[in-house]
Amino acid sequence: MTDWRSEKTARDARIAAGRAHAQGKVVRAEAVVDLLEAVLKPGDRVCLEGDNQKQADCLARGLAACDPAKIHDLHMVQSGIVLPEHLDVFETGIAKQLDYSYSGPQGSRIAKMLYGGQIELGAVHTYLELFARYFVDLTPNVALIAGVSADREGNLYTGPNTEDTPTVVEATAFKNGVVIAQVNEIVDKVPRVDIPGDRIDFVIEADKPFYVEPLFTRDPAAMTETQILIAMMAIKGIYAEYGVRRLNHGIGFGTAAIELLLPTYAEKLGLKGKIATHWALNPHPTLIPAIESGWVKQVHCFGSEVGMDRYIRERSDVFFTGADGSLRSNRAFCQTAGLYACDMFIGATLQIDLAGHSSTVTQNRVAGFGGAPNMGSDPHGRRHPSETWMKAGHEAEVVGDPALMRGRKLVVQLVETFGDKLVPTFVEKLDALELAKKTGLELAPVMIYGDDVTHIVTEEGIANLLLCRNADEREQAIRGVAGYTEVGRGRDRAMVQRLRERGVIRRPEDLGIEPLDADRSLLAAKSIKDLVHWSGGLYEPPARFRNW
Amino acid sequence: MRIVTDPGSQSWYEASARQRVAGLVDEGSFAEFLGPAERAMSPHLPLFDLPRAFDDGIVVGRAQLDGRPVLVASQEGRFMGGAFGEIHGAKLVGLLRAAIETKPAAVLILFDTGGVRLQEANAGETAIAETMRAIADARAAGIPVIGLIGGRAGCYGGGGLIAGTCSRLAVSESGRISVSGPEVIETNKGAEEFDSRDRALVWRTMGGKHRRLTGGADAYCADTVAAFREAAIRLIGAAPAFDLAMLEAEQSRLEARVKRFGDCRDATEIWARLGVNDPDAVPAMTDAAFAETVANVTEASHDAR
Repeated sequence: MTDWRSEKTARDARIAAGRAHAQGKVVRAEAVVDLLEAVLKPGDRVCLEGDNQKQADCLARGLAACDPAKIHDLHMVQSGIVLPEHLDVFETGIAKQLDYSYSGPQGSRIAKMLYGGQIELGAVHTYLELFARYFVDLTPNVALIAGVSADREGNLYTGPNTEDTPTVVEATAFKNGVVIAQVNEIVDKVPRVDIPGDRIDFVIEADKPFYVEPLFTRDPAAMTETQILIAMMAIKGIYAEYGVRRLNHGIGFGTAAIELLLPTYAEKLGLKGKIATHWALNPHPTLIPAIESGWVKQVHCFGSEVGMDRYIRERSDVFFTGADGSLRSNRAFCQTAGLYACDMFIGATLQIDLAGHSSTVTQNRVAGFGGAPNMGSDPHGRRHPSETWMKAGHEAEVVGDPALMRGRKLVVQLVETFGDKLVPTFVEKLDALELAKKTGLELAPVMIYGDDVTHIVTEEGIANLLLCRNADEREQAIRGVAGYTEVGRGRDRAMVQRLRERGVIRRPEDLGIEPLDADRSLLAAKSIKDLVHWSGGLYEPPARFRNW
Repeated sequence: MRIVTDPGSQSWYEASARQRVAGLVDEGSFAEFLGPAERAMSPHLPLFDLPRAFDDGIVVGRAQLDGRPVLVASQEGRFMGGAFGEIHGAKLVGLLRAAIETKPAAVLILFDTGGVRLQEANAGETAIAETMRAIADARAAGIPVIGLIGGRAGCYGGGGLIAGTCSRLAVSESGRISVSGPEVIETNKGAEEFDSRDRALVWRTMGGKHRRLTGGADAYCADTVAAFREAAIRLIGAAPAFDLAMLEAEQSRLEARVKRFGDCRDATEIWARLGVNDPDAVPAMTDAAFAETVANVTEASHDAR
């Protein structure tokens, strides 16, 4: 006779084993290793919450300290590989397989371990893609998550950095998995219930508050005139031209410069209310001047940002906040918003090839994707029109029945022709292809495919790929804005000139922009301190960003 | 759309050495000595395959300030951190020696320096010593030497020593004055002694507000070229005499300072002892609120130096 409830029985057994180290649901920080060794089984699929920002670091240290003779061959399914412990477990044999999305600070170590064969890699996903697989074929047996506080029943307050937690818990708790939460403190009553207690099996009061990285703070003092020029071109040549209201920004200095030019340069162009009103975006400190000047109607966030809590609390007309007043973020929902509800994604990358494919992977760094490919792709499932979307669609489609024409999402790459240490951004062949070959990956880690990219903006000009009618035109349009890189110098001058006449390539002068006007005096804030002033003292920057 | 900015409202911190001079002195009055066209460049940097600057990172010349003749030197913090090399130092020393002959109303030094240039360390160290000697001579000849500090590189190393010999100093919040920089202290004494990445700590310890409160600087200005101009004019009029009585007063001021604050572990403790009501609020204070605080601190203003 078939047992239809074997998973449930197994789950009950795990919980019973764990209870030996707990008082009710509460486990002391010193008992983490005992608890994990009791609950986990070799070969388990485990989500060790490593988000873009917050980290279940106490549980990560605990897992890394488990006895590999007892716990081994785990299959880790988590969005972020951020802490050293996330990879230590692969060195000791505690873990074997990995499916993930993003690995910023651990990018070079993960590359080494991939080359060395210490990690069996499933795939590098986008966030939404990995979250989707949690519900189909990568459902965790055990989830190790992080929150700010919990009560003894397990009701969990995630704080402003909710991020991945609701998604991870949903997939684990409702499919016979065990959920273990680390919290900064156990309280009698949580400020708000982000996750109901009946989905949390164990709660650990961590030895220290979980780690959050200030990933989205860009110091205006470090912004260059080149970045300002590129930002001016984007505002005038794309935001204004397409009337982009709903959008997502990447996290680089280029888009931060755009945020700081909204209340100054864009205001002078008369664009207030006509562009950049509704956002899927983390709470970037550089957006404060635009918010304070009344540019921004609404922002939904993937996560939070260190130092922005008080400001967000006092600006609940703009941000999503809970009954307790603090930010409610949600990575899965915000990614979905970025994919379907935004008319434009604009961000930077490290390499672009002649077809417009881009990647942040270099031969010795595998940074992963995070959410860029979700935001930076044209969603074929979209069925609602907007002026921006329809205009882009119209530019791309010249054949076929106009009655069946659909729109296009604007996917804009904002890059300087030469990146850090004068490494050219434009290349004949992406390093990602070489990496895929060496590590035997079936799918090369391309961040945004060329056919999704609509515009490339550099200090030399804007290439509108929507208006290119064949691969040759596309290549020359890209070469035509690639400056003095090899790729740029390899251009067909006559063809680039023709593309410019057709408006496929537009130089600053074609847009009525004088490059000498690209001056730091245009920035609404020139320093972190200026941002604090803009916020009325509500923004509290981390110490490393202060110069006072 | 041409964006025009008033040179006076320009940020001192953001401005280049030349922009600072242009906005500081009476409009159009600046005449440069040994300008870029004369190509007085470092003879040492090519040995290290390093790029040179046509002015070796310092602009010197004469000008009018509020209608009176002054000599001006302005360091470019964006060229090798404004560091002293052989030519750079010689231009400053020459300017100070010229002052003894031409008797201007003052010499203004716009510091923006990390100290001595490592690639020409001996020449740079010599330049520091010669500059201090030349300042002493100029001051003895009755010419005030005013230091203005608010640049990106701060005023460190030998620059900090030279600043100590000036008649008067003006500083802005972003300006820092010290001899050893944060990274140097951390390297030698460890992060427990001084965490150079804790930027709030760096500014508390070396920044403009702290220097002003303890009398290390004599004026505190907003970060604009106009504010530095106003401070420079004021300080020229308030420069102390340079005689034995003043030097003895300075000696006893410094001895009293060590005695009173020598056991403090953080600048906030010093501010508390100085009578500042809410020391923790000082870093975030606006310029106006800070001016009020300074006015209530007796040690901040003195006749010594």
